[in-house]
Amino acid sequence: MQKHRKNRNVAIIGIGQTALSSHKEDQNQVEMVAEAVRNALEDAGKTIDDIDCVVHGNMELFEMQFQPDMWHALGCGSYGKEEYRITTGGTVGATLVCASDNLVASGLYDTVLCIGFEKLQEGNTTGGITNMADPLWFRNLQTGALTSTTAMELIQKFGKERVLRAAMKYRIMMDKHAMLNPRAHRRLGLEYDQMETLMETSPQLVGELRLIHMCSQSDGACAMILTSEDRVREGTAKPPVWIRDHETSHREENMSNLYGARKPKSTHRDCAERLFARNGITDPLGYFDVFEMYDPSAFWAVDWLGEFLLLEGDEHLRLLEAGEFDLDGKLPVNPSGGVIASNPIGATAMLRIAEAALQIRGDAGGHQIKKEVRHALASGFGGSLWTVLMILEKEPNW
Amino acid sequence: MDLKDCFVVEAKMALPNQFFVGRIGSRWIIAMRDQKKIMGLRCEKCGVTYVPPREQCHRCWSWIADNWVEVGTTGELVNYTVVRYNDKHTPKKAPYVLGQIRLAGADTPLTHIVGDVDPADVYPGMKVQAVFADGPVNTLMQIDHFRPL
Amino acid sequence: MSRYYGTTVDDIFDTMPERFQPQEAKDVDVVVGYECGGEGGGKWRLKVREGAMAVEKVEGDLGPCTATVFAADAETFIGVTLNKIAALDALTSGKLRITGDASLLMNLLPRIFKPYRVPGPAPVTARDIVAGMADRFRPDKAAGVSLKFAYDLTGEGGGRFTVAIADGRCRVTEGLEKDAAVKMTMEASTFVGLMTGTMDATAAFTSGKVRIDGDMGAAAATGRYFDRYVPPDAPRVEELLSLKKVTSIDQRFATGPVMGKWFAGLRERKLLANVCPVCRRTMIHPREVCASCHVRAGEYVELGPEGYVTNYDLVYYASPDPLTGAVRDTPYACAWIMLDGASPEEAFAFEIKKEDLPRLKIGSRVRPVWAEKTVGSFRDLLYFEIID
Repeated sequence: MQKHRKNRNVAIIGIGQTALSSHKEDQNQVEMVAEAVRNALEDAGKTIDDIDCVVHGNMELFEMQFQPDMWHALGCGSYGKEEYRITTGGTVGATLVCASDNLVASGLYDTVLCIGFEKLQEGNTTGGITNMADPLWFRNLQTGALTSTTAMELIQKFGKERVLRAAMKYRIMMDKHAMLNPRAHRRLGLEYDQMETLMETSPQLVGELRLIHMCSQSDGACAMILTSEDRVREGTAKPPVWIRDHETSHREENMSNLYGARKPKSTHRDCAERLFARNGITDPLGYFDVFEMYDPSAFWAVDWLGEFLLLEGDEHLRLLEAGEFDLDGKLPVNPSGGVIASNPIGATAMLRIAEAALQIRGDAGGHQIKKEVRHALASGFGGSLWTVLMILEKEPNW
Repeated sequence: MDLKDCFVVEAKMALPNQFFVGRIGSRWIIAMRDQKKIMGLRCEKCGVTYVPPREQCHRCWSWIADNWVEVGTTGELVNYTVVRYNDKHTPKKAPYVLGQIRLAGADTPLTHIVGDVDPADVYPGMKVQAVFADGPVNTLMQIDHFRPL
Repeated sequence: MSRYYGTTVDDIFDTMPERFQPQEAKDVDVVVGYECGGEGGGKWRLKVREGAMAVEKVEGDLGPCTATVFAADAETFIGVTLNKIAALDALTSGKLRITGDASLLMNLLPRIFKPYRVPGPAPVTARDIVAGMADRFRPDKAAGVSLKFAYDLTGEGGGRFTVAIADGRCRVTEGLEKDAAVKMTMEASTFVGLMTGTMDATAAFTSGKVRIDGDMGAAAATGRYFDRYVPPDAPRVEELLSLKKVTSIDQRFATGPVMGKWFAGLRERKLLANVCPVCRRTMIHPREVCASCHVRAGEYVELGPEGYVTNYDLVYYASPDPLTGAVRDTPYACAWIMLDGASPEEAFAFEIKKEDLPRLKIGSRVRPVWAEKTVGSFRDLLYFEIID
């Protein structure tokens, strides 16, 4: 079966974000989304009339609002245009970009605007997650997305002291990156010498998962403009960032099936194996210059670094401990501060791609990586450990 | 397929929410609450006055957040429907009239309840008047309903 | 003194007695310790017992407390109290720490104390408000109106005034004119509350706080002709509206024959799984189709009843129920259990008996404990307990 063959290449030419915070009381959802759209258009040097199609998404019902795209039509610029609505849970931000990539690559549309948003202050996260669970059985068991099972597994494999230190090192590293990113939501100013204190005093949530390890809940929107290579040739306001390829792995099973006697292959590794093989990338750690990973918690982040980069044994821990994932390391991870610093869920996965694209463009600002960034990797996460993985390139040379 | 064990589970979908009106919406409602005035925002480029107001014209994408204009508290009923069923989510007991009212000076109709009239006597083109709520309601229902002029 | 956000830490504690709501503290028996570091800080001990409270500033050791709050500095303590600093951020960064029963602080204290509000600027008097009435008059709303009404405002900051509206003009004079259509008598503080919108008019009238002599209709009409009063030194903060609701939708879900059979199994104290004819995995709870092999799984087997724990979550923080706000008893544990006979990737997740939590380990062997009466529902299975 012929798959993944694009009719033409697609580039990101516009990126817009709103500031991310916990409380946007002076804006309603439409206005918030419109702000991101305006920023994206300005970044791309385009007007709303240049957009052929709008792709809109968030985590359905997290604001307790059904079909918000209808309400947002006034702020999306989709009046008189075709619009698609996508909801895939936490991965939706990335799926929006994948879908937009497919739409432009297919030839159906030349320029697509994709928008991811979340205004959690208006809803109830626990309610949203409860409403996602199978109502016949799992709704009664819901703990609301907090889990320490991965920490347990890591501790079984590598020892408690080492794992707790690795998670805390990762957390502080993320905060240090966030401190350089004025758009990040939570910037706490943590220092490495606080490690011991935080490990002991941060309130326990579930098992080894403490408050310090968890991502935030933010309000915000992100919009991106994608266009075809013909249009890029006509001229762009900023350097284009090329979407080379993407892969999605959403598994069927519920959380029950993830922690049996034998664990199934993680969707992260599954995605990475297929995506890299298809693109002839045998050494992802060496190939990529930056990785914006969707990291909802420090323990998951530590585990998934190994999964995404196809590492074996404790190599991912050794690299983390040696500082190779820092801004000046071999493969900087989340220079933006990642999801632990800012999490407007429907936009979060898109922000990973946006931040990776900004790194390639060289205009990320304070958290820009000093070395040239030519190859970027971005991931999205959702639900029962689903994954979207995307490769971005500075030049269309594959 | 053996169907003898099929049954129904009752559940509730929880929807606690808080809606932030935003700066523009707040000003609109507060003007109705404190000054009994109905305001709109005008896009000069398109020649359209929007009621309820919005900070950006969705047609031409101009920023219109500062172009406040006052529209009348009377208007014309563009069209209407009569709601004849009861549900815990409906605002009034059936039958009641839900109408689209184009206020004097506005170019977009406002959806609201038309009361103080027998539904059978309502017709498109009917002239109506806003009846404001007495105390602070802080929602669209700061206008309690419209009644025939 | 260290002032932050317009107030001091001391003021928060000094106002505790007046903010206390004894009716909410009927079954409460707690001691809460507070320690705030730096300038303007200190230690306080709050006791709530038998519907009464006592708070005192303490030197030295706080002694045994049900829960203790540590704030790094006065700014953090005041900021979090006033919601200017997100408690979550302060907890995460370590500037705020809680030992002992944290859920107590989060659920109980907001219930038994009215929220703290920063004392405002010098309070406005009734006299101030009446004096400005002529400026707030709306002639456009009073076209053709001829009305005289009087206020008798008793108590501090009050006085007697007559307001006359005629020919599109408004005049305010001292004293009560005899030909006023209506006279409204109330305490000056009630008048201020009504005019600033902090007191509900209907409630004031109904509860007898306002006495009306004369034309009721005229009394009701007076508000119509004036713009609302806004205190002059109130910060020009834009009023932003929001609407908060807790709604729910009733739902009815059909189990279908597969899930129905699962519940029927529970009723007979059996843990059923169905088996994929191709890959032989045992799906619990059963699903109609094996998603890996895309075939229907028609064969059923009984698993367990015993099994062993492969992983577990010990939950300390339970999210409040979105509809009721109720919070589950913590800690509780949700474990992943490999039931005897299950295929290696198919664990079953369920709760563990509360008393067994201290000795729960990966590898613990467990067995289900059923309700006395099983009817075919989620509640038939109470929990799993450790087998000795």
